Amino acid sequence: MFGPSVDNLVAQLSRLPGVGTRTAQRLAFHLLQVPRDEASALARSIDEVKERVRFCRECGNLTEEELCGICADARRDHSLVCVVEQPVDLVSLERTHEFRGLYHVLGGALSPLDGVEPEHLRIDELLRRVDANGVQEVVLATNPNMTGEATAAYLADRLRGRVRVTRLASGLPVGGDLEYADEVTLGRALAGRREM
Amino acid sequence: MAGRSYKTEAIVLRSFRLGEADRVLHLYTLDRGRVGAVAKGIRRTKSRFGARLEPLSHVQTILHQGRGELQTVTAVDLVRSHRAAREDPYRLGVGLVGLEAMLRLYSEQEANERAFSALARFLDLLDDSPTRAPARPSLDPLALAFQLKLLWLSGYLPHLGSCTECGSEGPVVGYSPRSGGAVCRTCAADALTLSPAGITAIDGLLRRPLAEAGAVPLSERSAREALSVITAWYEFHGGFRLRTLSA
Repeated sequence: MFGPSVDNLVAQLSRLPGVGTRTAQRLAFHLLQVPRDEASALARSIDEVKERVRFCRECGNLTEEELCGICADARRDHSLVCVVEQPVDLVSLERTHEFRGLYHVLGGALSPLDGVEPEHLRIDELLRRVDANGVQEVVLATNPNMTGEATAAYLADRLRGRVRVTRLASGLPVGGDLEYADEVTLGRALAGRREM
Repeated sequence: MAGRSYKTEAIVLRSFRLGEADRVLHLYTLDRGRVGAVAKGIRRTKSRFGARLEPLSHVQTILHQGRGELQTVTAVDLVRSHRAAREDPYRLGVGLVGLEAMLRLYSEQEANERAFSALARFLDLLDDSPTRAPARPSLDPLALAFQLKLLWLSGYLPHLGSCTECGSEGPVVGYSPRSGGAVCRTCAADALTLSPAGITAIDGLLRRPLAEAGAVPLSERSAREALSVITAWYEFHGGFRLRTLSA
């Protein structure tokens, strides 16, 4: 409708997650209106990120080096490994400033309905890492939903006898009211209550 | 045309991420059969839906039918969470087989009260069913009985008493998905081989109530034969395979 180059840009943008045709058109028109330098900087940064960023050899996090900053940091506790589904989960845990160990990014969660089986995730790499690097505890921090829980249960089974395995506690969000908690979350909070 | 809301019981068959914090749900509802719906903001920790819309959950929900293909979840009350089934890997494996069978066999937005009741009953029984690990969930008697009953409800009751090809009363030795039942030795070309114990087991799984599936005498060989009859039906009549059966 607006010429092949605009149509192509809209088509490319609408392939991004959460971006429909209308949003893609809005973004395309925005890019047409900004100064050329600004649009070129965006294009360059996309190109650069694809060129430079890769997965950390050790944990699977995103990095520009062979090892990510966390794995290369000698001050962190290398005997403690926290398993997450995606790099974005690692970022959330880092924001807490509570965890000083290392991470292991699986790249997803087991989902037989979607055809995601153990061999599609970085599970063998985790087992090798645990066996080779003197890891003493693995914290399972997969999402508290069906696929995340199934993945945690599978990993706990595979790691049993090799290392101490713990799971993130689940319960009520801080700042919320008990009145609005759903039955499943409240039930788990009760089951996981601790002595004071 | 303005949208409208309706209240129905539903069972969550599947969910996948949508956008920033939403999920698309595949629901099997009592009032309208299979429905696709969006649960907005459900992935946020403070979502009002909380953990009520995880797969296997049996809920009472209010759905809003707008102009789009997907409906919107506006309220949810839990009928049964089926947490016991979801938190045990073996039971979850059995449950996923049942959910995938529903997804493939009942894909239309058309109410089927008997199919809904069978699914709800299957999940209720699953909560208390024994874990048979390390056996494969796909060979579990409850999973096999549920799928055979779904085939029955779909109008494809396998005929096992006599040869479906020639009608002879002689011993049947196999199953032919093309003719929809057991076949005798003369007609058994291209049929799946079934042992007498396998045929008795399939008949038992079909005719006894779901609650008695565990009481049907079922050796591993018989379970494999029942599974091969089910998968042959899926492939021949439905043109699909269940991913969860190969897990």
